Amino acid sequence: MLIIMALLPFLGALLPSLMIRAGRNACAIFTALPTFLALVILLILSPSVMRGEVLQAELAWLPQIGLSASFFLDGLGLLFAGMILGVGLLITLYARFYLSGEDPMGQFYTFLLLFQGAMLGIVLSDNILLLLVFWELTSLSSFLLIGYWKHLPEGRQGARMALAVTGSGGLAMIAGMLILGNIVGSYNLTDILQAGDAIRASDWYLPALILILLGAFTKSAQFPFHFWLPQAMAAPTPVSAYLHSATMVKAGVFLMARMWPVLSGTDAWFNIVTTTGLITMVLGALIALFKNDLKALLAYSTVSQLGLMTMLLGFGTQVAAVAAVFHIINHLTFKAALFMTAGIVDHETHTRDIRRLGGLRHLMPVTFVIATISALSMAGIPFLNGFLSKEMMLEEASHTGLFGSPSALPILATIGALLSVAYSFRFVVHVFLGPVRDDYPHKPHDPPFGMWAAPALLACLVVLIGVAPFLAEGIVTAAANAVTGADLHPHFKIWHGFTPALWMSVVAVVSGAILLLQYGMLDRVWEALPRPEAKTIFDHLVAAVVAGARRVTEITHNGAISRYLAIFTIASVALGWVAYSGGGLGPRTRDLLAVPLVVAVGWLMLIVATGYVVVNHHHRFRALVLIGVIGLTVSAGFVYLSAPDLALTQISVETVTIMLLLLALHFLPKVTPRESSLALRLRDGAIATVAGLGVGGLAYAFLLRDTDTISDYFIANSYEGGGGTNVVNVILVDFRGFDTYGEIIVLGIAGFLIFSLMHALLDGPAAKRLRARDYSQDRSHDRHPLMMVVVTRVLMPIAMVVGIYIFLRGHNAPGGGFVAGLVVAIALLMQYMASGFAWTQARKRIEYHTLIGMGVVIAGLTGAGAWLFGQPFLTSAYTYVHIAPVEEFELATAMLFDLGVFLTVLGAVMLMLYSLSRIARFAGETVNMEPMDYDPSEHVDDGKVKV
Amino acid sequence: MSWILALPLLIPFVTAIAVFLLSNSPKMSARVSLAGSLAGLVAALFLFAEVASTGVVAGQMGGWPAPFGITLVADMLSAIMVVITAITAVAVALYALGEIGAEQSRLGYHALFQVLIGGVSGAFLTGDLFNLYVWFEVMLISSFGLLILGGRPEQIDGAVKYVALNLVSTILFLSGIGLLYGETGTLNMADLSRVVAEHPDQGMMTLIALLFMIAFGVKSAVFPLFFWLPASYHTPGFAVSAVFAGLLTKVGVYSLIRAFTLIFVSQPEVTHTILLWVAGFTMVTGVLGAAAQSEFRRILSFHIVSQIGYMVLGLALFTPLALVGSVFYLVHHIIVKANLFLISGISQRMTGSGELYRIGGLYAAAPLLAALFLIPAFSLAGFPPLSGFWAKYVLVKASLDADAWIIAGVALLVGLLTIYSMTKIWAEAFWKDDPSGRIPKAPQDGPPLWPCYAAVVFLAVLTICVGLVPGPFLAFAETAATQLLSSDAYINAVLGAQE
Repeated sequence: MLIIMALLPFLGALLPSLMIRAGRNACAIFTALPTFLALVILLILSPSVMRGEVLQAELAWLPQIGLSASFFLDGLGLLFAGMILGVGLLITLYARFYLSGEDPMGQFYTFLLLFQGAMLGIVLSDNILLLLVFWELTSLSSFLLIGYWKHLPEGRQGARMALAVTGSGGLAMIAGMLILGNIVGSYNLTDILQAGDAIRASDWYLPALILILLGAFTKSAQFPFHFWLPQAMAAPTPVSAYLHSATMVKAGVFLMARMWPVLSGTDAWFNIVTTTGLITMVLGALIALFKNDLKALLAYSTVSQLGLMTMLLGFGTQVAAVAAVFHIINHLTFKAALFMTAGIVDHETHTRDIRRLGGLRHLMPVTFVIATISALSMAGIPFLNGFLSKEMMLEEASHTGLFGSPSALPILATIGALLSVAYSFRFVVHVFLGPVRDDYPHKPHDPPFGMWAAPALLACLVVLIGVAPFLAEGIVTAAANAVTGADLHPHFKIWHGFTPALWMSVVAVVSGAILLLQYGMLDRVWEALPRPEAKTIFDHLVAAVVAGARRVTEITHNGAISRYLAIFTIASVALGWVAYSGGGLGPRTRDLLAVPLVVAVGWLMLIVATGYVVVNHHHRFRALVLIGVIGLTVSAGFVYLSAPDLALTQISVETVTIMLLLLALHFLPKVTPRESSLALRLRDGAIATVAGLGVGGLAYAFLLRDTDTISDYFIANSYEGGGGTNVVNVILVDFRGFDTYGEIIVLGIAGFLIFSLMHALLDGPAAKRLRARDYSQDRSHDRHPLMMVVVTRVLMPIAMVVGIYIFLRGHNAPGGGFVAGLVVAIALLMQYMASGFAWTQARKRIEYHTLIGMGVVIAGLTGAGAWLFGQPFLTSAYTYVHIAPVEEFELATAMLFDLGVFLTVLGAVMLMLYSLSRIARFAGETVNMEPMDYDPSEHVDDGKVKV
Repeated sequence: MSWILALPLLIPFVTAIAVFLLSNSPKMSARVSLAGSLAGLVAALFLFAEVASTGVVAGQMGGWPAPFGITLVADMLSAIMVVITAITAVAVALYALGEIGAEQSRLGYHALFQVLIGGVSGAFLTGDLFNLYVWFEVMLISSFGLLILGGRPEQIDGAVKYVALNLVSTILFLSGIGLLYGETGTLNMADLSRVVAEHPDQGMMTLIALLFMIAFGVKSAVFPLFFWLPASYHTPGFAVSAVFAGLLTKVGVYSLIRAFTLIFVSQPEVTHTILLWVAGFTMVTGVLGAAAQSEFRRILSFHIVSQIGYMVLGLALFTPLALVGSVFYLVHHIIVKANLFLISGISQRMTGSGELYRIGGLYAAAPLLAALFLIPAFSLAGFPPLSGFWAKYVLVKASLDADAWIIAGVALLVGLLTIYSMTKIWAEAFWKDDPSGRIPKAPQDGPPLWPCYAAVVFLAVLTICVGLVPGPFLAFAETAATQLLSSDAYINAVLGAQE
């Protein structure tokens, strides 16, 4: 039952959005339905709770982290649940008439039900984590409701501010609740409520208290977090009445009441909570008095009244707790009624500015009566319920000392009461009394019954409880006992005799009335006073954070890649330094070898060439040549270190890349611009030098240490297991064929990417620049010289044979598919260079894309073929074949895999070339269909000779 | 067991080749791409079921025993990551039906996308350090291709930064591999776990560990190495940026987690302390960067950085609960972040811009989109009962349990600023009316919008599921964390598997 009740609003939340199609009444009815059902269940459950029983229900949710969906209903829960559901029904009714036809009503009611469910969840949770979940949900749904009129900028700002403030409180509360749970060892409220002594004795008590109070204070708009509540008044009035006076803002008070047996009773609690409540009460009342917006006045008065409740809970005495609970009910009745009347006034007159109102009692008599009763109750006039709880508050205040002074609290409490008398009176006098005006923005009259029914009902309650306070005793007793954990039997009386509280009340009412009489003068003084506006401070704070964020981001994130690289390098060096200076680097275990002259020369060449590249990098051509030198020197190094495979690969890669880069350079300016200043270059140079020294040091340290290797296994198994004697090749195509497979995919894509990048480039702005270039100046008159054509033609079959040879022998001697692919590619490249692109292209049979695709597919199929034999992916097999004249030779599936590599390499390189030549043609390169520019055979008499 | 491990990465490659051959028929290739992604999801779920029921699964490519051949291995973390990758792939492939036009398809969008997914899955599944490098390369080249697809100047600009910074990190990665291989003679991660722990020169090991930390740090976009991310993620197509946002940095985080739970754990007082600082600064700088932005995807990009901090935080704390938090955060983040980028795509199609101060009115014009935005946005901001709340909650709890007060506070405060950014997007793009008075509307020409919506709904439903029923997901994360903290199961599965 309890769980169903708690979940009903959520289950029904989508109904209004769906039912809006059936009309606004249906929409409102289906909003009321789940609320009503939940209320019925609550009423059924209530008798046992009133007898002091605690109902519990539990669903497992997340036992790992101590979260269960457990609910319990005690007196406090009953009181709040009743308020939430009861007022919820009234608000549903009121909103039906309040919202205009243009407002999307379905969404409104959906949000409202979501909020209601969340709020109900808070008051029924028996698990503090569950409570947190619902707590955050109220922030969220309130965000959506405040911003409901999304076209209003103040609504959007107010919503965001409310979410920021209550959200941050919620975050603090998460931490607080976690600490609380850690102290107790359980997240169940029932367990925590039993463990008060342990909690108060814990070292973590104070942090937990502060964090939880932060949550409560932000939610209940306590000073200095009070400013969001008035901003939230941009919401439609039903929202203000429901969330921001009756329910949500009381969640903080609820939480303090809930945690009262556990957290209260210490000096820290008393000082923090009482002081905060007191300041909020007085300050809120003071600001409320001078607000000209009806809803702002009510908002600040709500702040003030919440301060009052907080203060009462802060006192830490049982009587004060009873008063707080009682005031919760009373405040709910009169404040919700007042908000609704404010909404009616706004709705009817189209303004909420008190200065433009007055004299409404003749035009809106019903509204006037409701407003007057409620406002007088708020002022604490006898025979209305507000009087009773305010009297109890003053009574408690009159004998409570604060910070050693016995009189501070009573005086301040009286001032607070006095101010609330003043603003309550002002609400009535300045709006309803006085002469009827003729300049209302809209001619007002009483609204339809549906709209004033809800506030009227609340006003009746105000009077009823005020005259017969014993009616409320039952529920207040149940709630107060739940809060205090004691067995109290309070009796509410209107007349207590001539107590100090009564005199304080009299002073408050009389001075309040006097204040209002002098309002004009006071208002001028108020306007003249410098006042720190909490909202402005908050706005400045946000603006400062954003500005600071922007500055930090601009400094680090200026878009220059050199800065990013500098930061990266510094970070790397710094981390390296941390590791190095942490010590623990083992001793060197090897001696430095002697340096032969050849090595020294090679080393020097490398250094000089590298240095020259750095200095001359603005001259692209020179830099490229030197990069070639570096590459060849490295290949020579591989040869020296007996790594022929590496050397072979390095040389062919070097050749191909340099050739392609040369072709690409053709389309770029010969010199790059100088972009950085000298200082910048010095800085970057210093960073680079340090990083280089670091890497050098690392390599040095590494070389002086013994190493460990698993190469022996590869050497031992290469022939037996892989069927090849060239270990490097067997590693590539067999032991680690999986790596190679990944890499040929990379290569294939790289080729393909250059193709698609060119494609994009030729559609973009770069195309214009290319077209504008004049190629005639640096063009040779004999672009396809005879000698070159002839030599490349002769070389072609030779290179092809070499390629095939390298491919075939790869498994047993230096070579393999990768190198072979490059060699064949070079052979083809030369044809392109000699006779031009179009001529060669016309003789091409297979698309390069297809070559790449075939390569990857062949390699992949070879690997997957192993599955057919129940072997893992890429498992190789080999056999020896003997075909007559040829010697016995070996066939390995690995060779098939290598074929895939070969094709991919070839396809990728050729595709890159194809892309480059596309640019060339685009840039105005003429197309030649002849093999060479000057064909000597054309001068032979008997016609042309095909080359 | 080899095929069950290899399928999650072979299916995308096969699909890539298929769509590559179909690239002249955009409709067909989009459908084949989606079908391939679905098949990949099925394969991933198979693998997941296998891992969940029998524990760590390992297989040797080429049949060579570990540590000599290349190992594919799936423990719980890998299996989770593979499944979530496949889920993202399905969502993005679906979305692509509504975004990728004929031209992009012809230029190879679908093929590149599938290769990327294959590379990501490979990175999650490999048990070999050099093989991991290979998958990094595959990812880098295919993501570069996706970034420049279309070739607008700002795309090229972003892509160059992306590639340059990533290449530099690759060099460090490769150097690290070389040094480690030289010192230990092995590349197999399970083997490394043993060898590194017993290595006499721990100082050298830590030094190499930090090389890896930087290399993976660049990949995962942590402070101060994240610049490439916000410089490039707002430039490509939306499907592309969604898959980037969801998956790419997470491969870096995964590698960090793998390296610093399996291999480099002998000096946590150095390595994990650095990670803790990195986590804090990453969270803060990312979220501050986001606060300074006003473009939809730029805000989201900076938030990726910030959220990476949370995941690293879990690793840095190095307690069971903290690792649970990291793993859970990874899963949550991928779903949510990919979805937000997809939503930004629909938003831009309807409003014509991503600049928040120039657009508006989406709430009135597209209430469904608004509702769909709220789910991942508030999940990201850590509101219950959405997935992000649990993720953040577990990490904060782990920090408090470890007495790491400050970092817990930082984590919570960063959550607050995340709320700020998300509500900024909400207020500007959705609530506010369009400043120029136009009503957001999808242009009539171009591919249909419904696949985009379907993808967004798919991910939003997942977010809600993880949010409402986090129990099983937390349980999986717990299993993953347990396996990470005691590597025996992993090592036995790999090295014990040899005949």
